[in-house]
Amino acid sequence: MGNVERCDKTLPINEMIFHVRRDAVLRARFLSDLEGLAREFKLSRAEYEALRDKDPRRLMDLGVHQYYVPQILRLFFGAAHNSNASAALECYRRAYPEETAQAMALEERLERSR
Amino acid sequence: MARVVAAMAMTHSPGLTGWFTRASREYQELALQATAEMRRRLEAARPDVLVMFTNDHLLNWPINNMPEYTVGIGEEHVGPAEWFDEWLAMEKYRVAGHAPLARFIVNEGARRGLALSYLREMQFDDGISVPTHYLNPDARFCLVPVTMNCTVPPIPTPERAYQVGSRLREILAAYPGDERIAVIATGGLSHEPGGPRYFWVDEEFDRWFLDLLKRGDHTALLRECTLERMEAAGSGGTAELLAWVLVLAFTRGPADVLAYMPAVAWRSGTGMVTWNEMA
Repeated sequence: MGNVERCDKTLPINEMIFHVRRDAVLRARFLSDLEGLAREFKLSRAEYEALRDKDPRRLMDLGVHQYYVPQILRLFFGAAHNSNASAALECYRRAYPEETAQAMALEERLERSR
Repeated sequence: MARVVAAMAMTHSPGLTGWFTRASREYQELALQATAEMRRRLEAARPDVLVMFTNDHLLNWPINNMPEYTVGIGEEHVGPAEWFDEWLAMEKYRVAGHAPLARFIVNEGARRGLALSYLREMQFDDGISVPTHYLNPDARFCLVPVTMNCTVPPIPTPERAYQVGSRLREILAAYPGDERIAVIATGGLSHEPGGPRYFWVDEEFDRWFLDLLKRGDHTALLRECTLERMEAAGSGGTAELLAWVLVLAFTRGPADVLAYMPAVAWRSGTGMVTWNEMA
């Protein structure tokens, strides 16, 4: 099966992000006191560091549900008019250079073929 | 007795509202024309209620407790959820629910062996919000939202979605009212939200899947379009097509494919489909 099967349903980050997304106070703390928040939700040091470093590959290797990864990037970079597109793309480009380059090449090819 | 008068499916990619103009002008026009045609057919069918099937993007339920299906039984539905306001670039919408029908679905489901969770207040992400923006912008139709798990392992199979769709068809037909109902699937086509292939779409898979719908042979579709095939075309996202497979069970014969766009800019294979004949 695919990448989503790698998620660890019991990983504390996966619980934490559910609550942070729904709560403005927790969203503010995510930016101002990530380490304290991580402690309260019982994240491991490795989870906290992957989160802090905004690293999609390490997050997914630890078992973060893939859908939550761009959500985490939105928590860091914001969402207005999808302004996080380039920031998110940069994080993925670093974490998955080959896959992201293929996707960008596909987009260019589709643009050219029209 | 209630009657299903229309069946449709469309992509709910947040790009369709949130960053619409980042796709080519050609795709923008295609998407606008196809959704306008869906709305025209919907208005011609004169439904009282839209029953919308879509996946919950881990918004209403935490990952430790994800039900297979959840019915929104509120008197009114308000969206998008706060977290999605900026992302979807949409004004808030308010749509009347249809609590008697929604509660009937839950209870009649239980009598017929179908475990359906429910929420009196549901939060809405792109799954309900984007199709509502295009198909029910003036909130003239009541809404019964039904979310399904398409992304938390174990992901149900297409056979299971079709089986649930068949059961729901019987349940809606048994509703003791004269409501006219439209069933609408939202999600897909190929995409891998957040995965290593986040910015990729699989045009070949999408066209193959849409051709299966055009053939209208349900047995062939269920045989060929396995969960493994969906996952290979975009893990954790393409399986949103389970909603389409569920709605397929309400139909008979070929689907009209109104549009298809391999829209990398919207991060999703994007399509709009209607069926002409109800089962």
